[in-house]
Amino acid sequence: MKLSRRSFLAATLASAAPPSRAWASDWATIAAEAKGQTVYFNAWAGSETINAYIAWAGEELSRLHGVTLNHVKITDTAEVVKRVRDEVSAGKQSGSVDLVWINGENFRTMKDEKLLFGPFAESLPNFALVDVDGKPTTRVDFAEPTDGFESPWGMAQFTFFGDGAKVGEPPASMMEFLALAKHNPGGLTYTAPPDFYGTTFLKQVLAETAPDTSAFAKPITAEGFAPFAAAMNAFLDELHPHLWREGKQLPPSEAQITQMVADGELLVGLTFNPNEPANLVMAGTMPQTTIAWQHAKGMIGNTHFVAIPVNAQAKAAAQLTANFLLSPEAQARKADLKVWGDPTVLAVSKLPAGEAALFSSGKVPGSVIRPAPAVPEPHASWVPLIEANWLSRYGKG
Amino acid sequence: MPRLLALPLSLLLIGQLVLALAFLVPDLLDANAFAALFAHPQFGGGLFLSLFTGISSTLISLLLACIIAARRPAPPAAEAGAMLAVPHLALALGVVFLIVPTGFIARLIATLVTGWTSPPQWIAAQDPYGLSLVAALVLKETPFLVWVMAHLLVRGDLREQLQGQSRVARALGHGPSSVWLRVVLPQILPRMVWPLIAVFAYGATVVDMALVTGPTQPPTLATVIWRDLNDADPAMAARGAAGTIILSAVVILLVAAAGILLHVGRPWIRRFYTRPRTPERNLIAWPGHAWSLWRLVYVMVSALLILQSFSGHWPFPRLLAHDFSLSAWQRIAANPAPLFTSLALALTAAGLSLAAAVAWFETLSARLDRLALAACAISLCLPALMVALGQYRLFLAAGITGTAAALFLAHVLPVSAYVFVMLHGPYRGFDQRWHAVSSGLGQPRSAFLARIKWPLLKAPLLAAAAVGFAVSMAQFVPAQLAAAGRYATLPMETVTLSSGGNRPFIAASALLLMLLPLATFLTASRLSRPRWSP
Repeated sequence: MKLSRRSFLAATLASAAPPSRAWASDWATIAAEAKGQTVYFNAWAGSETINAYIAWAGEELSRLHGVTLNHVKITDTAEVVKRVRDEVSAGKQSGSVDLVWINGENFRTMKDEKLLFGPFAESLPNFALVDVDGKPTTRVDFAEPTDGFESPWGMAQFTFFGDGAKVGEPPASMMEFLALAKHNPGGLTYTAPPDFYGTTFLKQVLAETAPDTSAFAKPITAEGFAPFAAAMNAFLDELHPHLWREGKQLPPSEAQITQMVADGELLVGLTFNPNEPANLVMAGTMPQTTIAWQHAKGMIGNTHFVAIPVNAQAKAAAQLTANFLLSPEAQARKADLKVWGDPTVLAVSKLPAGEAALFSSGKVPGSVIRPAPAVPEPHASWVPLIEANWLSRYGKG
Repeated sequence: MPRLLALPLSLLLIGQLVLALAFLVPDLLDANAFAALFAHPQFGGGLFLSLFTGISSTLISLLLACIIAARRPAPPAAEAGAMLAVPHLALALGVVFLIVPTGFIARLIATLVTGWTSPPQWIAAQDPYGLSLVAALVLKETPFLVWVMAHLLVRGDLREQLQGQSRVARALGHGPSSVWLRVVLPQILPRMVWPLIAVFAYGATVVDMALVTGPTQPPTLATVIWRDLNDADPAMAARGAAGTIILSAVVILLVAAAGILLHVGRPWIRRFYTRPRTPERNLIAWPGHAWSLWRLVYVMVSALLILQSFSGHWPFPRLLAHDFSLSAWQRIAANPAPLFTSLALALTAAGLSLAAAVAWFETLSARLDRLALAACAISLCLPALMVALGQYRLFLAAGITGTAAALFLAHVLPVSAYVFVMLHGPYRGFDQRWHAVSSGLGQPRSAFLARIKWPLLKAPLLAAAAVGFAVSMAQFVPAQLAAAGRYATLPMETVTLSSGGNRPFIAASALLLMLLPLATFLTASRLSRPRWSP
């Protein structure tokens, strides 16, 4: 059970070189070491479909590799960041987390504070299948290079949905979103920032009102943000009076908005999983006439990852798990609408025919009508400015 | 030697609390965090909302509880106890299911009256002034206060005294309202100080209910703090810690101010009570049926939660779901570990806390109670977030996070505080002359305890144990931090799954969460019936 740090350093150093026999044998060492280990996988657990998928992955890992996967159900990944930081600063080497579902600000924090083990991700055998060219966010997480400290797991892109019979022709831009709101007073809304979905809605507004989106990839100062804020606020000032409760109260969670859309209280829902509307149709929550759409010039998109804390106890088994989660079998099952419907990070077109066939591509009710390109998330330094601007302007009531 | 028996409470409650708070000292000195807090755009509005919901829910609950408890016959304590067993979060969720535009009331109106096909645009939950939060709190806290009063009134010694005095007052021409107001209340209210402070502290600092039904722009300060404390950025977490300190300080100051106000107002109060009898105004006739409203709401909420937990697709404006499904309950049955963990924790924490409190009362003089009461007051008046944060840092330093021991300690602190507070008044208020009688008859102390004192105090003892059990079942924040993800309890599981928004599952978890304390309360109230009276 006791793990030698040095063996991992050796493994990761060797893996910086192109694949070789030495690399392969190191992976074999890791696999051998992993057998019998327990991986405490800290992952958001608000969705039963996701929990069921993780449970399936646990059964497979146990069957194939003798690894026990223990899903530690959390509500907020920031708690995990805090816990690992506290453990490390208290000198606790045998940490409580072996693998964490992570991205964005939490990843940047852990990477900056050297709370992560690695680099390990790009030496996983299955990383070669990842669509790093077509999906650049698999290596750049909210403008932060991953540098192999987290392994891609799934794709996310901001998407709107609603009952097509009521929405009609869906908006193709924020200006059309505003027009829809004017025609349907009280029918549209977004969640109150700093809720993640609300903040993403603001980023989308920012991306569509910004004079220049190339600045997103770089850190920003309060002065530099001012013109962006002005453009965004002008739009929001016009939008808010037409929103649910005139924008004076926003729902606290995306789950609540989805429920209100399903109940007919709201017209438009928002999600970060382009497949979720189809999933909702399949579950009977939304009607067959449901449509999902994205704005023509692109929607905010990102990748979610798994990472290993520096004080993890089962580092070998955690890497094995990350590798398994990247396998075509696991990725295809995850993308299956009946299971979870989380888009794959792999380059399906480059997979052997047999494995590519695992991924079904047929359109079902609730699918995104015209998929749009992904607009990368702005650099993390934008987020506090976006939220502070919103809080002081619209957050006080 | 017998004083050693006071050790468990000293360590579990006082020692743990002092250590936990000591680990928060660095936060007190973090000037940047306080500056950031005061600069937070939602600080002022959030603080106002927290205090408004705390103060108004406490005052309204107290007023209604006094009116309800004045009724003759008084509402059965068992009913209030059953309502008390409903977890705050479960009630808030049920109330939301009732009042929102797609809720049951709107569906009833749509079906029976207006024929709406889409939900009305009325503002129910998450109103900007927190009125729905106040309403949910009042619905929850009024039965608590009614229940506390009922348990004070069945105390053997106090009941005797009050009956005698009431007879005197009636003989002097006072009607039932006047007797209640002038004889009963003045003797009950001073014994309700701690429950009232706990109600106020809870209302002003509650997080989970505020998330479900509180406003968002701004939210209550407790919600702002909760968000900050969970932030990965240490500066934000520090701002959250500063927020808990400020909110706690304001809560304590307000309690102190209320105490001073009552002291200063004493001559006025005395004048009111010694004033000659005025013609009887029937103060308690109109709300005679107030209790029925509570029955109705709790029955409707329970029924809705049951329906919801078995529901499949349930679109507006249907009164019943299209189809019914067992899937929510199957998921719970597939993972029973959290249930058993919670049950084991609640039984051990409540049992040990009761034994520790009784051991304390029996071995130490009443003068030392101040120490324990101060610890209780601190642990109940400070936002749970703050104590939990200190406990977490303490456990981390001791290297026990993620162990069963840490989980138990996290639960036993609030449980022992509640049990001690609940028991203090009745236990210390016990008429010592019974002991003199017993000694005079040559009985040893053990016989006095087992055959006289504990039977007489059976109701408050069982009540304290039941409250301890319920408090343990409701712990979320300290449990989540101490467990470090290695253990899951029922409330942790419920809160976690509720973030996903699956209504049948939320309803099933909430029902389960209320079922265990409910069973405990019913058992306690059944066993409380006096077997022996002097």
